Amino acid sequence: MASLSTSSLSFKAPSVQSTRTSQVLRKPLSFQPISFGRFQSSKNLRLQISCAAKPETVQKVSDIVREQLALSADTALTAESKFSALGADSLDTVEIVMALEEKFNISVEEADAQNITTIQEAADLIEDLAQKKPAA
Amino acid sequence: MVDKGQVISLCRFLLRAGRQYPDYNIREYAKRRTLDGFRVNKNLTDHSKVEGAYAEGKKQLEVVERVVKVYLAYPPKTKNIMELKLQ
Repeated sequence: MASLSTSSLSFKAPSVQSTRTSQVLRKPLSFQPISFGRFQSSKNLRLQISCAAKPETVQKVSDIVREQLALSADTALTAESKFSALGADSLDTVEIVMALEEKFNISVEEADAQNITTIQEAADLIEDLAQKKPAA
Repeated sequence: MVDKGQVISLCRFLLRAGRQYPDYNIREYAKRRTLDGFRVNKNLTDHSKVEGAYAEGKKQLEVVERVVKVYLAYPPKTKNIMELKLQ
């Protein structure tokens, strides 16, 4: 992966991550060059968890949300859309989390499930759990 | 006092328990009924009514968990047509 010189965090598919710099750069920029090579080779799970989710995941989550909340096709769904802003109450959120569990074949904990408020958070959690599962 | 988090947890437990049924019909019914039941009582403000509804929910949770065991002992032999993918 020839992405050492770029400013985006690109541990996985390099072409995708450029749109997510604003969100993903929770770690200071200076941290990257020091540990990048090491993480790349050892595939440190800890750092991968903090990466943004893949767009396919976000898209699948958006489709499920759209279906559950019966949104029309022209309502814009971005990764940052909050469920409450889309007209979902807490019961709808529970339903959405259940549907996501079934679709991605994961199991979300109580504490995690209560903290999901946006589509991006849901996608990140899904990626997180999908990675932990084969390791377990 | 039953708080919102407990109600949401109860809903989640009920949904998870209902998912374990091997039979398509009762599985769908459990999901539909829990969501409808919680939605109907969504706007209750009277404290005693909330407690009553919560207690009933807990009772139903026990029932579901008990009945799931019975259903799992006799799983259906064929798949329900609704579960088959369209070909």
